[in-house]
Amino acid sequence: MRISRREFLKAAAAMAAAGRLSAESFANLNNVLRGEGHPRVIWLQGAGCDGCAISILNSIHYTTVDDLLVNTIDLEFQSNLQAVAGDLAISAAEAASAVPGYVLIVEGSIPTGASGAYCRLWPGMTMYDALLSFATNASIIVALGACASFGGVSSGTPNPTEAKGVGEILVGDSRLMNIPGCPAHPDWLIGSLVYILTNGVLPPLDADRRPLQYFGKQIHPNCHNRREYCGEGVFADQLSDEGCMELLGCKGKKTYSDCFMRKWNSGGAGEYGVNWCIGAKSPCLGCVQPTFPDGMSPFYVYAPTPITDGENTENRVEQSKGRAADRRGE
Amino acid sequence: MATTITIDPVTRIEGHLEIEVTVDDVGGEQQVVDAKSAGTMFRGFEMILIGRDPRDAAQYTQRICGVCPVSHAMASCMNLDNAFGVTPPDNGRILRNLVLGANYIQSHLLHFYHLSAVDFIDTTGLLDMSPWTPRYVTTDMATGTVAEDLVNHYLTALAMRRKAHQMGAIFGGKLPCTGSFVVGGITENVTAENVADFRTLLTELRAFIDDVYIPDVTAVAGLFPSYYSLGVGYGNLLSFGVFDQDAGGTTKLFDAGRYTDGSPGSLDPAEITEYVTHAWYTPACDDKNPADGVTEPDATKPGAYSWLKAPRYLDKPHELGPLARMWINGDYTNGISVLDRIMARALEAKKIADEMDTWLDDLVPGDPVYQASSIPQTATGMGLTEAPRGALGHWMSIDNSVISRYQVITPTNWNASPKDHLNQVGPIESAMVGTPVPDAAQPVEVLRVVHSFDPCLACAVHLVRPNDRREGTRILIPPGIA
Repeated sequence: MRISRREFLKAAAAMAAAGRLSAESFANLNNVLRGEGHPRVIWLQGAGCDGCAISILNSIHYTTVDDLLVNTIDLEFQSNLQAVAGDLAISAAEAASAVPGYVLIVEGSIPTGASGAYCRLWPGMTMYDALLSFATNASIIVALGACASFGGVSSGTPNPTEAKGVGEILVGDSRLMNIPGCPAHPDWLIGSLVYILTNGVLPPLDADRRPLQYFGKQIHPNCHNRREYCGEGVFADQLSDEGCMELLGCKGKKTYSDCFMRKWNSGGAGEYGVNWCIGAKSPCLGCVQPTFPDGMSPFYVYAPTPITDGENTENRVEQSKGRAADRRGE
Repeated sequence: MATTITIDPVTRIEGHLEIEVTVDDVGGEQQVVDAKSAGTMFRGFEMILIGRDPRDAAQYTQRICGVCPVSHAMASCMNLDNAFGVTPPDNGRILRNLVLGANYIQSHLLHFYHLSAVDFIDTTGLLDMSPWTPRYVTTDMATGTVAEDLVNHYLTALAMRRKAHQMGAIFGGKLPCTGSFVVGGITENVTAENVADFRTLLTELRAFIDDVYIPDVTAVAGLFPSYYSLGVGYGNLLSFGVFDQDAGGTTKLFDAGRYTDGSPGSLDPAEITEYVTHAWYTPACDDKNPADGVTEPDATKPGAYSWLKAPRYLDKPHELGPLARMWINGDYTNGISVLDRIMARALEAKKIADEMDTWLDDLVPGDPVYQASSIPQTATGMGLTEAPRGALGHWMSIDNSVISRYQVITPTNWNASPKDHLNQVGPIESAMVGTPVPDAAQPVEVLRVVHSFDPCLACAVHLVRPNDRREGTRILIPPGIA
């Protein structure tokens, strides 16, 4: 399925006609899509590895990245792709942020130590200052990846740069959506943007501000290893073996994402991916959880601790549903 | 009169980089007479790793770089194999090579089409939307068929690099950041089916490299002949070697080696020294081999201008990357310049992709991919490999079964390094000198030189940059320092 701007509107009109989209949302959508042209996106990169940008380039399930860039959105600033550098790049970013109503995507963590000096985007602009400045006129703020969402590996103990996630700085900001993962899966971002563009609002989020559509299910009860092995008491003796890997350190019981179904690196539109960590006989690292990495490592050691991560109503409901489904043998 | 041009941020790279060049009249032409490069981000990975389970290093260090995580996984796993005293089975070694090869292909395609090509073509009328507007338009930029082809292939190459990642994920679990690289081998098994799936994608990528990538690079080279003599730099090359062809790694697809002052040489890691004379680090960090490396910042150190340490081999700056690998192995010896770097990168993609097809034949479905081992109480390790952009080394010490020291030297540490104890500038700084800059408002010539090195600043983990602007006396370097 390729989604062009025209198709966004067509789909939205159909949803409005079917009563699934309010007239207000549809008008909002029309403004977003028809007002200035394409939905505008500004993408800032803080203290991270650019791996989430690379991961988004792998998009294909909902649409490809070239279709997204050429037909769907206006990516007004993105350092990896920006044609110009230096002053011209800065003025492009500043001109874009002067006009309200864009989606702000933040990749990488925000170092707060040394007055933010550990990450500077351009002369006189730390990542910390840039986040505050570019958030002002944003309609939607997406924290993309583990670092932007919750600090991620950049904030691992002893957190030398006092790196933080967006939500720790823009505390309580209702515009914020977290798309965690190390890296984030392209579908999690693109699917959520499609939802925002067609509905004019953020998708339903869990207590960690992650879209429930992608982060609502616990991995372990939905894992093929759970179905095929764990219930039978078949545990992998060592890495590369078939069997449940809980005893080898797999964090599937602490982790909420749809990796078990969606998988990674899809080869075609509408298709799910070719493999995933557990599919490759390696333990889940829990990279979408707020406590990644410190609360999820050592990665290869059995951690029979109670689930303290992701404690929130939605997750508990899902756990309960998962347990019920387990009892029913689903 | 000399003018200073600051390019900050340098875009179309990985990470955060600042370039500052001084331009002056040289024989009637405006040329770069002095150049400095500095990174603007620091995360402190080496500090974050201390005290952790050694096995986790391969996962943590992959997060140094989203473009070359597999290279960090490889360096870290080799480091761990070395410290744990374990040798991966043949299947495990070959699968590591295949996933690494898949990431090389995606990285090289990304570099040429998405990071570098825009420096050479006028995209007006072809890509009239952000992020390709605003844009530089200079009189020497390609227009017409070459520009149209490159823009079309820019889009096709997005799909091709995606397929390279899809291919790597077959054995890597997912990309970027593979879960399957572990000490002792890899976790994914070999089946006739996954080998066939891999080969189908590889065949398509090999055709793209042969039929599109190499012809496109050749077309650009034909239009910019002067770039065979620009961005030359020192002409010293170094490689750690990569893609082990046997269990001990005694033979590799690319052997380790050097090319120093016009002569080939062997490589001994003990001869690598990091200097901090002009870097913001305490004297305790100076003159150290990475196995004994220390990282103690000193933001007020007199005479320092960068937070990048300066690695040197026998006290000489060396350039790393595809050109170094191809030159040292006799695959490409046309020259050392902007275009030679770009050309060698394309030809290397072909060499690796073609070899990968033979590695698939060497896999034995059902044979082991992993050798179990246990964490030593006390050990040291070293893992030397090559990232797409050059030699990558990881060094570690284990005490009480946890990491007590971890040091990483990335290719961009070498290429973008500052001056050393002998006042020798870094390779990128050296290569920028002599570059003509006819229009200071559009310093695209400087970007062509910088981009030819494919810099990766997130990788340069020692980097940090204070808030204030760098000031001070500039040392003018005569053109043609190389």
